[in-house]
Amino acid sequence: MAEVKSKIRAINEMLTGKEITCTELTQQYLDAIDKSNGDLNAYVNVTADTALKAAKAVDDKIAKGEELPLLAGVPMTLKDNISTNGIETTCCSKILEGYKPIYDATVWKLLQQQNAVLLGKTNMDEFAMGSSCETSVFGGAKNPHSLNHVAGGSSGGVASAVGGNIAAYGLGSDTGGSIRQPASFCGIVGLKPTYGSVSRYGLIAYASSLDQIGPITTTVEDTAIVYDAIAKLDPMDSTSQGNKGAGACATLKNDIKGMKIGIAKEYLEGIRDDVKEAILNACNVYRSMGAEIVEFDLPALKYALPVYYILACAEASSNLGRYDGIRYGYKTPTYNDVNDMVCKTRSEGFGSEVKRRIMLGTYVLSAGYYDAYYKKAQNLRGTIVKDFKNAFEKVDVILAPTVPMTAFEVGKAVSDPIETYLTDICTVPINIAGLPAVSVPCGFNAKGMPIGMQLIGNTFAESTILNAAWHYENATHSTMFKSAEMGVKL
Amino acid sequence: MVSHEDVIQIARLAKLSVKEDELEAMTKEMQSIVDFADAINNAPTDGEEFDNINNLSNVFREDVVVESYPTEKILENAGDKADDCFLVKKRCL
Repeated sequence: MAEVKSKIRAINEMLTGKEITCTELTQQYLDAIDKSNGDLNAYVNVTADTALKAAKAVDDKIAKGEELPLLAGVPMTLKDNISTNGIETTCCSKILEGYKPIYDATVWKLLQQQNAVLLGKTNMDEFAMGSSCETSVFGGAKNPHSLNHVAGGSSGGVASAVGGNIAAYGLGSDTGGSIRQPASFCGIVGLKPTYGSVSRYGLIAYASSLDQIGPITTTVEDTAIVYDAIAKLDPMDSTSQGNKGAGACATLKNDIKGMKIGIAKEYLEGIRDDVKEAILNACNVYRSMGAEIVEFDLPALKYALPVYYILACAEASSNLGRYDGIRYGYKTPTYNDVNDMVCKTRSEGFGSEVKRRIMLGTYVLSAGYYDAYYKKAQNLRGTIVKDFKNAFEKVDVILAPTVPMTAFEVGKAVSDPIETYLTDICTVPINIAGLPAVSVPCGFNAKGMPIGMQLIGNTFAESTILNAAWHYENATHSTMFKSAEMGVKL
Repeated sequence: MVSHEDVIQIARLAKLSVKEDELEAMTKEMQSIVDFADAINNAPTDGEEFDNINNLSNVFREDVVVESYPTEKILENAGDKADDCFLVKKRCL
């Protein structure tokens, strides 16, 4: 059986083999963006000049016969909450209109050291708060498999661009599922790394104890390559621990015979039948590869959603306190005094979902409610962490759906906030526990919309989950992966 | 029960303004989100304080002097500025 070809390796071979110049390849991607972005709304800012300049630098290196890092010249994108020096970074919010960071996020710095080619910044739910990308001030990104469906959120733009082949890979951020859910909706791969393995320096904060940057790619090997490139210890992020292992690529193809894969019954409750069927089929694929399926309980899972929304909103209400119109971004044109200016700036600059979460966060942190909500949620966070810790004494990897359903139709998610919050049930527990999880495609529903599954690992066990994901992908690629009919064909 | 006064007080703390005609809808919405959060009320806990994930601990290092960003760079994104400072007008009529 032929192995699934990594897109990044394929591009690297094309460039080093001089089949195409980096400038030509980049231009192909820019032309494809021109053609498809009107439909997908994946990019909110295309950086053509920067991209072509970076491509030229790669071509010069090749001409001089210099050694090329694997990610050199590979056209990619960043979610619009990752700071890029001199390039507008708005979090898709009116309040950051026109804001150009004066420094680079560490992840972007690391990728530039490998001569990455940035095609542009991609769409997201405003301040990463949403599950459909539709809270973006620019409108939502569409799903490359069906333009009537959302790409998911909050990193919807990255998933739409990568799934629509108008970026070879991208970086998103995941606070409660924002990498894995859109990857699942768009039929591609997305990794939320262990809390602390990738530096958050330069990631515009939503909920600092939950946020983590990670790759969105078309193949598992691409995810491993990008993860290895960005999982580095960074003194600029006090929670950074770097990649504690030898790297995910080193063990990607190891045998998984005897690997213990856990299934928690709580994870299969309340999910759509087609998703459940896909997950149970995946169990059979793993059994056929010699892995052992182990059933276990995760009793605290039922509290994960309210715990997540309490903690995330509490942190957001504090983090978003900095937007006052004084130092950057939008400022109200008319006001009476300083307090009025701050209130008007915030009320006019933030969208309704952001305001809703700031209000809830302020409520749970206010006198009289702190113990009942915030403190209680923190205690329960400890319980959830323990539940997962106990599970990983019995299993190597946990297999679960990424989302209880497939992509929503456009406009359906924004009408009822609570209903939409419930769709995050499978992804938020992982952020609460700080664990790594990768979403990989595992089927299609009757309408042809992709279904995704998560492989969840113990702390810093990215190598283990990517190893398990790679074997599944290679066993099922021809039936579980379908490239959207658009964008650049390599 | 979330009251109108609660919403006004929270908005004041959060530095957001609530218009009179938005108050009723916002109160209802807050109530439904608070009801959702109330699901944890009866959850059993061991009462243990949870303070960090993945056993993070403080990392100390020598204090090293590094170059800071130039003032003009930092002021680049500000709407109003004067004399190397962010400008906040006391009153704007």
